[in-house]
Amino acid sequence: MSTFTIPVGPLHVALEEPMYFRFDVQGETVANVDIHAGHVHRGIEYLVTKRNIFQNIVLTERICSLCSNSHPQAYAMAVEQIAGLTVPPRAEYLRVIADEIKRVASNLFNVSVLAHLVGFESLFMHVMEIREMMQDVKESVFGNRMDIGANIIGGVRYDITPENAEYLKAQLDKVEPAIAEVTKIYRTNGSILGRTRGIGVLSREDAINCSVVGPVARASGIEYDVRLKAPYSAYPNLQVPVHTLKDGDVWSRAMIRLAEAATAIGIIRQCLVQLPDGPTACTSERPAIPPGEAIAKCEAPRGELIYYVRITDSPRPERVKWRVPSFMNWDALRFMLKDAKIADIAIIVNSIDPCISCTER
Amino acid sequence: MTESFYAIFAMLVFPGGLFALALGLALKGLDRRLAARLQRRVGPPLAQPLYDLVKLAKKRTMVPNIASEPVFLGAPLIGAVSMALAAALVPIPGFYTPNPAFGDLLVVLYLLTVPAVALMVAGSASGSPFGAIGFSREMAMMLAYEGPLVLVVAAVALRTGLGQGGWVSFSLTEIVAYQRTHGAFLLDPVMWPALLAFLAFYPANLGIIPFDIPEAETEVLEGPLLEYSGPALGLFKVMSALKAVVVLGLGIALFFPYAPDGAAGLLVHLAKLVLLMLIGVSVVRVSCGRMRIDQAFRFFLKWPLAFSVLSLAVVALA
Repeated sequence: MSTFTIPVGPLHVALEEPMYFRFDVQGETVANVDIHAGHVHRGIEYLVTKRNIFQNIVLTERICSLCSNSHPQAYAMAVEQIAGLTVPPRAEYLRVIADEIKRVASNLFNVSVLAHLVGFESLFMHVMEIREMMQDVKESVFGNRMDIGANIIGGVRYDITPENAEYLKAQLDKVEPAIAEVTKIYRTNGSILGRTRGIGVLSREDAINCSVVGPVARASGIEYDVRLKAPYSAYPNLQVPVHTLKDGDVWSRAMIRLAEAATAIGIIRQCLVQLPDGPTACTSERPAIPPGEAIAKCEAPRGELIYYVRITDSPRPERVKWRVPSFMNWDALRFMLKDAKIADIAIIVNSIDPCISCTER
Repeated sequence: MTESFYAIFAMLVFPGGLFALALGLALKGLDRRLAARLQRRVGPPLAQPLYDLVKLAKKRTMVPNIASEPVFLGAPLIGAVSMALAAALVPIPGFYTPNPAFGDLLVVLYLLTVPAVALMVAGSASGSPFGAIGFSREMAMMLAYEGPLVLVVAAVALRTGLGQGGWVSFSLTEIVAYQRTHGAFLLDPVMWPALLAFLAFYPANLGIIPFDIPEAETEVLEGPLLEYSGPALGLFKVMSALKAVVVLGLGIALFFPYAPDGAAGLLVHLAKLVLLMLIGVSVVRVSCGRMRIDQAFRFFLKWPLAFSVLSLAVVALA
């Protein structure tokens, strides 16, 4: 059978962001794949060095809309390390709450897109409807649906009033059974199982060789979660269950995301119970930041996010470098797409939840 | 002279041509609306398919440089015309009986394969790799569902023919007349396997989820339709609207042609079409995901084929 080349991307209806794959296909089967990155270089790392340290909180939040809380958080953690600031306990808990709310919404988003790619539009709409409840939470508690602006250097910008806490709890009580129901659908529905089980398999060995992170790693049986291995914020005081599956296929990755959305709700509840009183930021003024360099990492919805910050005498950081989870998971696509069917390409690419706006910084 | 006038009228105005087109667009609009409601969306206005068509008619058709232009532009035309003809051959029980001189059930069967062939030709003529994938998928789907369809039709023809004391009857008029006196095949347990096989053929022929594989948007970007725009794309939309009327009308004629005579018969027919569209198409397509081509092929070789063979055997023995 003759081989021909099909382009997937840079603009493709099934891909949400510009990425480019050239597939050599034989009939319906992928024979070879060329992955091209670098279509949307954003120059945002350069831009960060042109803003002062405090402005960069706002800028880093705009790197990615789905991990828009993790970026400023990791950045703030690095700067706090340089300045030796201690974040008040209440702020640490509030950071975790913001982080986990974003995680629920982000994971549900990815899982719903999976249903869309499988052609199961009703399920897509249904999961999006559940995600909408979390969007309501973000809008009510933080005042914004995507970029919630929770973090500042030395603490958080928002506070949870008793009223808000009640509302948050009520919303979580609604979302939790909905996620359980959706999980059951993904576990039993024939359409979903037929299209996702055994597809895009990443073996444990390949996963280790590619150093994949986040749900992709955990679906391949690697028990790695920054919240557990290098606890930050209030995570040391919280019960954070880590889910792993062994198969490493598209279905496992979706199930891990659903399970993590469910546990994130548990974590938010724990935070609301343990939430100590006190200030939400270490100083009311902008703290002085001495020269220095630091690395901080946190667990974004897609996996480990690492920030490196170097500050000199200038009010602007000399260098800020971030390594995003999609950057690590990107290469593993090569293994997942091996011998895939054309019909499964989009499903497999979506299963690592690639974030090009983070990766092509 | 009057006969040929009626023949042309039947193909261009009623029940083929304009009438079938209006009906098909209305059915598509209803389908979209109901599917939206089932997904808790508002959905487009009922006339949305018509608006789309008008918009496409006003635009320009772009022909890709590498496409073969006559084939590229001819394929949608042939597809649409074949369906307009087929619509004139499907009876409306109690209201319209096609002139037997045009052809019978076998001609309808042949005409029903034309849209799929037109899509395949369109896909390969467009020169796009996605069109080529669409071509091979359409071909596989056709191989999968045509067999069961032919066997189902044979079972119906045999049942009618044997019931009349003859052999097989491929005349849709006779099939309808037989059922109106002896009871619909829908209520005849002997015909149930055939009915089941026919129900699987619906979504495959109409190209809806779970069998919209040749045109899967998230996989092959509408496949054969990818390079089409303007009036040529509009003709494919016309074709698919007409096809809905033909295929659903065929199902009614084959399985439950109960209807009063006269204008009431037309109304009953319309009601049945709407019901079939909503139950057989809208509900099916919102309640499952898309199959992969190999899964769909295996599905058809397993269930509908088994049911259609069974139905033929049962009818022959009964």
